[in-house]
Amino acid sequence: MTGVTALGLPEARRNEAAAVFRARGVPHRRIEEWKYSDLKAVLGEQGLGAVVAQWLVANLPSGVEVFDLSQPNPPGWVMAHVARPTQNVMNAASLALSVGGVALRVPANSKIADLLKLDFTGMGHVRGLLVLEEGASLTLVEGVGAADFRNVGFEIALGENSRLEHVRVSPGTSDAVLVEEVSLHIAKGAQYRAHFAGFGSKLARMELEIALEGEGAEAHLSGVSVLDGKRHSDVTTHVIHRHGNTASTQLFKHVVAGQARAVYQGKVTVAKGADGSDSSQTAKALLLGEGGEADLKPELEIFADDVKCAHGAAVGDLDAESLFYLRARGIPEAEARGLLLHAFLEDAVAEITNIDQRERVRTEMLAALKVIA
Amino acid sequence: MLEIKNLHVAVEGKEILKGLSLSIQPGEVHAIMGPNGSGKSTLSYVLAGRAGYDVTEGSITYKGENLVALAPEERAAKGVFLAMQYPVEIPGVTTMTFLKTALNSQRRARAESDLDAVGVLKLVRAKAKTLNVSEEMLKRALNVGFSGGEKKRLEILQMALFEPKLAILDETDSGLDIDALRLVAEGVNALRDPSRAMLVITHYQRLLDYIVPDRIHVLAKGRIVAEGGKELALELEAKGYEHIVKEPA
Repeated sequence: MTGVTALGLPEARRNEAAAVFRARGVPHRRIEEWKYSDLKAVLGEQGLGAVVAQWLVANLPSGVEVFDLSQPNPPGWVMAHVARPTQNVMNAASLALSVGGVALRVPANSKIADLLKLDFTGMGHVRGLLVLEEGASLTLVEGVGAADFRNVGFEIALGENSRLEHVRVSPGTSDAVLVEEVSLHIAKGAQYRAHFAGFGSKLARMELEIALEGEGAEAHLSGVSVLDGKRHSDVTTHVIHRHGNTASTQLFKHVVAGQARAVYQGKVTVAKGADGSDSSQTAKALLLGEGGEADLKPELEIFADDVKCAHGAAVGDLDAESLFYLRARGIPEAEARGLLLHAFLEDAVAEITNIDQRERVRTEMLAALKVIA
Repeated sequence: MLEIKNLHVAVEGKEILKGLSLSIQPGEVHAIMGPNGSGKSTLSYVLAGRAGYDVTEGSITYKGENLVALAPEERAAKGVFLAMQYPVEIPGVTTMTFLKTALNSQRRARAESDLDAVGVLKLVRAKAKTLNVSEEMLKRALNVGFSGGEKKRLEILQMALFEPKLAILDETDSGLDIDALRLVAEGVNALRDPSRAMLVITHYQRLLDYIVPDRIHVLAKGRIVAEGGKELALELEAKGYEHIVKEPA
């Protein structure tokens, strides 16, 4: 039904996914969640295609197991977590149309100090699976290669009391159309921290669906985007507090110049009975000039009684008073603007715990700011 | 050093200063006193070069140069310093980073070499001690969570660090208790110098007990309506602004 057999991916799930995708088609701006990211329009005639994108483990720390999803006889840990049913249209598309990908496992109680570096490259569809077993910990650095079009479907399963820090930098390109869906299942006491730095492309969308499934499970998301020209960057999240006493925070900051567009859509759902859930969402954007656009849409959906949820969004320009203060102390205008833009973004970057990665993101952010300040 | 002639300034099309003239020589400390709305802050902003304060008539000459034509950062590099009434809080920029950036920007504009981090730190520490500015304050984000007194002390610390030729102090006494006021005034007095001019802008005579001016100008409705020596402050304190403002200028 899907044309090519992906040996490591269960055929039945691929068929279900193909049905989901067939029913919905390539998303476009009249679909609510895709209003600000018209994938169909940017892909045009070419559509999604059925090419296979590549993956590359650029650094594999010892103690982390890899399995190539295009190979037969996947081990039990792959079968236990791979290709969960999904209603997410692009995730379904990637499952239906890809014939391979990578699966990675950190065994129980392994604390991996070295970075796992995983890059997705080339054009087409590809799958990823990362499993952290109980008590494991890891820092994942995800690399994003340029391509005319790529769709990554990435599944992450965090076992009880495991810890994952995920840092993804999407470099600025003018032509690439890059879509990625991460679906996460976070067990009791486990913690996911993620930072998404985006410098925009023709269309760049990072979509996360995060389920907090046990007491004490936590997800902390942050991100910065610095956009110029006609670049686009979209982070769309859905955090579901399925269990009580779970926590999630989100902090996204955008600087938008030229005719660029930054999108943040964040939905937090607190399921019935998930009392004691604690969530916060903050999204802010600075628009430099008249041509840019920031669409910030935090959203809450609460079915429990005793919860603490806060959300806020704000779009503005650089503060004229602050700019004058710095200039009056001798700092030239461009440098003063750069300093204020950095200051605006800094608290989101400061969320990165890994010091080297924090410095790396900061360096890239400053380089991008230098161009537009 | 500073020569203001028949200065008219409009903000959003509304004329605030209506023909103000003033002359200050190096080494002198002048005070501008006046009721709320008289144009005191407008004068300080137009001297520092804030956008939106338009000179519609008259001139400001600083060390023989047309000050109005210069950008705020150029004025700073040439020695103009405004201690602000409401120092701005800037989250995300540490005080120390700000001081280093500002100091080196001014040095660069004067074709002097940059000071390295250690050099700046040494300089800042030496000045900070006398003004009771703690190491901890220098590590915090600029003015964020600072008390009124801490903010004003940091303004004076910057003045000590940048060593301006013309220092304008805009309502430096506002929001200070008597101990904080004394500390700030001592900091200012330590910077009195035969080569430096100061313009102290205040609503109340209180500050002038500590920073004793050579000359006082009373500003009302955009014009200087009275001038005199330091005793004028006492007269204002005793009789109020009404008394002087009502007399024909």
